[in-house]
Amino acid sequence: MHYFLAGGGGLLSFNTGFAIWVLISTVVFLVLMQKFLVPPIMKALDERENRIKDSLESAEKAIAKAEQISKDNDKALKEAEIAAQKIRKEALEDAEVLRSEKIEKARNDADKILSDAKAAIEQEKQRAMAELRKEVSDLAIEAASRIIDAELDKTRNKKLVDSFISDLNNKN
Amino acid sequence: MSQFLRRLTVTILFLFAINPGILAADTQESDGGSFDVMGKVVDHDYVEIVGVKIYLPRILLVDGEWYFYSNTKSAIESGQFMETEEGGLVRSDGAEISLDMSITSHLVYVWLAIIFTLLITMWAAGRYRRGLGAETEPKGAMQNIFEVLFVFIRDEIAKEFISPEKYKRYVPYLFSVFMAIMFMNLFGLLPWAASATADLTVTATLAGITFFITQFSGTKDYWQHVFVFPGVPAWSRIILTPVEILGLFTKPFALAIRLFANMLSGKIMIVSILGLIFIFTDLFGAYVGVGSSVFWVALTAALYFLKALVALIQAYVFTLLSAVFIGMAAEEHHHHDDETAVAHAQAVEVETNH
Repeated sequence: MHYFLAGGGGLLSFNTGFAIWVLISTVVFLVLMQKFLVPPIMKALDERENRIKDSLESAEKAIAKAEQISKDNDKALKEAEIAAQKIRKEALEDAEVLRSEKIEKARNDADKILSDAKAAIEQEKQRAMAELRKEVSDLAIEAASRIIDAELDKTRNKKLVDSFISDLNNKN
Repeated sequence: MSQFLRRLTVTILFLFAINPGILAADTQESDGGSFDVMGKVVDHDYVEIVGVKIYLPRILLVDGEWYFYSNTKSAIESGQFMETEEGGLVRSDGAEISLDMSITSHLVYVWLAIIFTLLITMWAAGRYRRGLGAETEPKGAMQNIFEVLFVFIRDEIAKEFISPEKYKRYVPYLFSVFMAIMFMNLFGLLPWAASATADLTVTATLAGITFFITQFSGTKDYWQHVFVFPGVPAWSRIILTPVEILGLFTKPFALAIRLFANMLSGKIMIVSILGLIFIFTDLFGAYVGVGSSVFWVALTAALYFLKALVALIQAYVFTLLSAVFIGMAAEEHHHHDDETAVAHAQAVEVETNH
């Protein structure tokens, strides 16, 4: 049975030559790993993770933006609706005002025409009355003068007739 | 074709599995009934692959003179060296060997573990460089497993215990050491192979590397806390400083012993329990030996699962504690944070000691 160690060796022995081998191999191994093999892996993983993180962030931002846009749209739509309603209401009110104004005007016109007509009738009536009165008095005087020609002078007769007519007027 | 390959693999695995029985029987015959447990765990001048022994070169330094032989036998046959009673070598004139740089079985397994790690990392780095896993998702089981391990070391070990602005520098070391130790541990599961981590020389060297990295990453605050202790009475430094200096060395010492003892005990347990078959045969006859072997083999199988688990756990623990020690040394000082970081690290250390 050939055990390896120079002094025979046991379980707990520390063998310097072997340790030197292990140290050299491990140091070479670690340098290779540290300098050449692990950095590209670290870099690739970091880049991938960053890219995923960026994508997620930008996706979130895009969603937020889209939400904002749709919210804005909704708001604009609502505002437009409100504005339209307002315009309609205003138009209705304007129409109402216009209508009532027209009615008022028509009524006033009608009133005015009526009152004008009444005034004209009254005027005609006054004039006709005056004319009629003059005519009647003339006729009465003529008739009376023809009947009682010489007895009465013209002035006293006229006075008598006028008083008679005004009595007549008052009786009416 | 693939079925043929599968059958071949299964056959080879089966050969590997039945091998310890053959070997044990072999040892028993050649040593006249003794069952050699220690032979399975100490270093050898040969490697065994499926029962075939390959003798390794010997490189010896005696009194400033180098001797090279292709194996131990040729060293003895050359007449320059002779065997001692303990199985070691001395020069024929009785001069002790001053430095033994021979290639040994454990060294071969260290190299194998290193080469495995290098190849796998090279393969993965090539894939990442080509954009697989960098621009797309990682493809295939191999790359996914690799990434799980790598990201675990980076996020759960390095980022967790080393300050965020510094941890990136230590990821390659922690990952390399984890992979190498894991492979060394797993080689121990092959019946004819040995775990190099069941050798104190290997674990001590690895712990030594962690020790040097720790000390070289030490910040001003770290050294201040070892020698000066801001804020404590001057006289207490008489006690505290030696304890702290001692503490610098006990950490890697514990690291080395923990890995070594865990890996060694597993191997010894398995060989001993299988050895019980032969002990029972000796004591109670062949029938009892063969009959009870069912139980011992079942127990061994259970222990194998445990050992596979321990192989991974111990690689993880070594890496974790390396990260904790480096993290403690490399930390920029924040007074109130420091206490909790140290307490946390100590809690982790206590937890992982078993």
